[in-house]
Amino acid sequence: MNGSTVPLLVEVGCEEIPARFLTDAERQFGERLLDALRDGRLLPVVPESRANGKGSTPNSELRTPNPGTTYSTSRRLVAYIPSVLPNQPDLEEQVMGPPAKVGFDAAGKPTRAAESFAAKAGVDVSELLQVETAKGLYLAANKTTPGRTAADVLAAALPDVIESVTFPKSMVWESTGVRFVRPIRWVLALLGEGDRARPIRFDIAGVISGSESRGHRGAGGNALEVHSFADYAQKLRKHFVEFDPESRRQSVRSEVNVVLEAWQEAVPDPDLEEWVVNSTEWVAGLRGGFDPRFLELPREILVTVMRDHQKYFAVEDREGKLQPYFVTLLNRDRDSRGVIRAGHERVLKARFSDAEFFWNADQKVPLSQRYSDGWLERVTYQANLGDEGSYAAKIRRMRLIAEQLSVELEGQGRLDGGQRAHALRAVELCKCDLTTQMVQEFTELQGVVGGLYGRAQGEPPEVANAIYDHYKPVNIEDECPRSVAGAIVSLADKLDAVISGFSVGLEPTGSSDPFGLRRAGNGIVKLYVETVPGLRLSLGDRPGGNMLEFFRERIEFYLQSVGLRYDTARAVLSDQASRGWQVPSDVLARGRALEQVRDTDDFQALAAAAKRTRNILTKSAKAEDFGDNKKVNPDLLKASEELELYSAYQAARSELGSFEAALDYAGALRRLAQLRPYVDRFFDKVMVMDSDLAVRANRLRLLSELDALAFRRFADLSEIESVSGGTEAGNG
Amino acid sequence: MESLNFQNMLASLSRFWADQGCVIALPYDLEVGAGTMCPETFLRVLGPKPWKVAYVQPSRRPADGRYGENPNRLLKHTQMQVILKPPPADIQDVYLASLESLGIRLADHDIRFEEDNWEAPTLGAWGIGWQVMLDGLEITQFTYFQQCGGLDLDPISVEITYGLERIAAFLQNVPSVYDIRWSNDHSYGEMRLEEELELSVYDFEAASPVACRTLLDTYEAEALRLLGSYKDLKTAESKKRFPLRKVYELCLKCSHLFNILDARGAISVTERVALIARIRKMATQVARIYVGRLTPQAVETPVEAQPA
Repeated sequence: MNGSTVPLLVEVGCEEIPARFLTDAERQFGERLLDALRDGRLLPVVPESRANGKGSTPNSELRTPNPGTTYSTSRRLVAYIPSVLPNQPDLEEQVMGPPAKVGFDAAGKPTRAAESFAAKAGVDVSELLQVETAKGLYLAANKTTPGRTAADVLAAALPDVIESVTFPKSMVWESTGVRFVRPIRWVLALLGEGDRARPIRFDIAGVISGSESRGHRGAGGNALEVHSFADYAQKLRKHFVEFDPESRRQSVRSEVNVVLEAWQEAVPDPDLEEWVVNSTEWVAGLRGGFDPRFLELPREILVTVMRDHQKYFAVEDREGKLQPYFVTLLNRDRDSRGVIRAGHERVLKARFSDAEFFWNADQKVPLSQRYSDGWLERVTYQANLGDEGSYAAKIRRMRLIAEQLSVELEGQGRLDGGQRAHALRAVELCKCDLTTQMVQEFTELQGVVGGLYGRAQGEPPEVANAIYDHYKPVNIEDECPRSVAGAIVSLADKLDAVISGFSVGLEPTGSSDPFGLRRAGNGIVKLYVETVPGLRLSLGDRPGGNMLEFFRERIEFYLQSVGLRYDTARAVLSDQASRGWQVPSDVLARGRALEQVRDTDDFQALAAAAKRTRNILTKSAKAEDFGDNKKVNPDLLKASEELELYSAYQAARSELGSFEAALDYAGALRRLAQLRPYVDRFFDKVMVMDSDLAVRANRLRLLSELDALAFRRFADLSEIESVSGGTEAGNG
Repeated sequence: MESLNFQNMLASLSRFWADQGCVIALPYDLEVGAGTMCPETFLRVLGPKPWKVAYVQPSRRPADGRYGENPNRLLKHTQMQVILKPPPADIQDVYLASLESLGIRLADHDIRFEEDNWEAPTLGAWGIGWQVMLDGLEITQFTYFQQCGGLDLDPISVEITYGLERIAAFLQNVPSVYDIRWSNDHSYGEMRLEEELELSVYDFEAASPVACRTLLDTYEAEALRLLGSYKDLKTAESKKRFPLRKVYELCLKCSHLFNILDARGAISVTERVALIARIRKMATQVARIYVGRLTPQAVETPVEAQPA
């Protein structure tokens, strides 16, 4: 370590921080602290790029040269910076004073103005300089501000560092009104180590910082006097605090293996693992069991109860069959007496008994009766819709959408009468599970419970499956429903959400999307592409411009998520493209074809010609330049290059039509690329804006036909970036 | 050690919080959905005056009724409600010590504070906090109130609400709340099972929606009539005599009737939102009048908490 620097350790101790906020809070805390050290000129290397100005610091700068590390537990945010300057360097700067002629009289003697300026700058009058500026000769002084100690600078800066960490939901708890995620109960701020370690003292929310940390609350929560980072690490671990989240993550994995038998496996669950890591200070595994009779309940319900309500990992054998066991991770050391296991087992038994009770009670009124008796009239879907705000009203709207989709799919020969009946039946029943006790208790199982109940109550499997699947896909990675009937119900549900949401002004704005319409939109696009390809978006009678733009953005998002470059997506979604963009599967097919051919030399040249053509047609030429002719007059084509281009694209016309009819867009685009030499020669040799107005008009017609036939037929080729620029996302 | 019976649990917790300086208030004599709705909480968390109180409060949630058939769910359950204003810095440790007073040896258990924020739309109240989990069992709601009656709170109050039947079933290791030993001679079921059945039958089946609605409208009209008269009061003396707590009781009556109508399935989509707004309007007016009356003179006069 550099002898001229000292280490800094800061720990903010809180009451339990919500697990979902912890990782981001740790990151913010580290960044704010580094910002403060940099602003306070306390980092050993001050990069030149500071000249770029505040706020422009690129991320990489934060990591070089290894400025520090952050950690966190459910009760603390920790940052360790190994090398901090013990004192700020003196700040030398030139300060400007009054004009020279004010500072010195005609005899060259200093005036009061010069004397008071010198005094303010802390220099003798004889040390004043004269500097030539745009406004004339001015007095100046080289002022030296002595650097303060790191302890002083940090005592002033650290409260702001802590308070600048922001949370989606914060609180006040004491009289100074500081906002934080949960009450701050202690702060450790230690500069230096060993004998030279000194606490940095400041006051935040009524807490005085010092050199003490605390152990795990369950182990007594003793105050621990800390002398260095190594001392901190050793003492905390001795008192059951593992402050490094990555170490806790490893513990989760190893503990699960320790408590399970070789033939048992925990059902993988990354979200639950993350939750455990961020809601603990120490991790120990525990395996418990439950009465095998509960295995008669559906797996979905058992796993949901264990995972979402009890934060347990479910256990299965190597064949994936659920076993009557669970694993939970304790926020403490091992349960040596078995008391904790017994407690968890009793709680789980009560939970499963509840589920069993709900299952039996719910069967007394089948979904079909809940539907026909109008139970959904009283369940609110969206209050802003007024009289149309109930789920019953939503089902009526969904039915209309489903019928429309069925007609279109039957037209394609992709749906028969039986499937149609199943889909419409599933629409009627799909929301009835909202009135069941099971879903009121386990809301995340809506849809799934409807499917399970439908099956148990004798609905055809196709209907039950369509209900079961109808929330899918919940996001762009999720699977689609397994049947066309399921896709119809899902589409009807999501299309209604978007259409009715937009109708009462609930559309997403900026980062706010309280009703999840973007997610619904993503699901809609995925379904149109993957399960009902060939259909045009069904957006009601008069979709507004906002909704069209909304769907275009959703399709663009989808195209990029499957790997299309942003300018490819833009080209196929352009309003210029004559095939339009409202058949999502067709947009994807064209996008994929464009990806195949766009990097060839011929196609790149063609894209450049498309841009040039568009410029001429829309910028250089005026409306009157086009004359009265609607079509190219071959008799007016004088130059051989324009004649050849004309013949070439006439020859391509019928072939392109065949490719298009066969939806062979790659073939069509390759055929287009063959026009390149003719296009190149045309632009080399032919002057479009000819002085002969008739010739000029005819050439503009020629380009206009070429544009429609080639450059914006399948995609707007003028949107394609050249190879060098094409891979730079966000460029343009 | 033999685990505490139910009535001794209530006594132990009351004793514990009395030792912490809390006044032990009586259960409120109206139907409430939670101890939060009692004036000892709703009103006294408002304004600047420090306050420490604890009380047992039977709490009714008609929609949770199960005719006494479900082993873990009750239409009327028993809360232990604690308010500390302002909260001491070691409040979590004090709370944990209260569990020890029930015979829970913390060293033997896994206690977690899991994020759970609380909101009561009809009261214009919300707070930030946790559900406290004891070996996977939710035993307490722990909340730092931020707003009540639509007003920002200063100082902040902490609210600790214990679900006593759950804790008792856990400590006594019985599979159903009805098996809890209330005293050494009587079970919880003997004390309450018939009541659970009867209340469930009324709230789910027998209640007349027309009668409930009429009652709700009548109570609301009476409350609004009184609230309307407040603005004509000019002197501090006449304001002091204003029956504010009666207005609040009428508001609570409306809230309970709303819950019955809701359990009965008699509230339509649009009506539901409107009804909640009507009740909140009464509650927020009560809160505003209460705070408005806390003039310097008024601050000196209210009932003083007696040291335990």
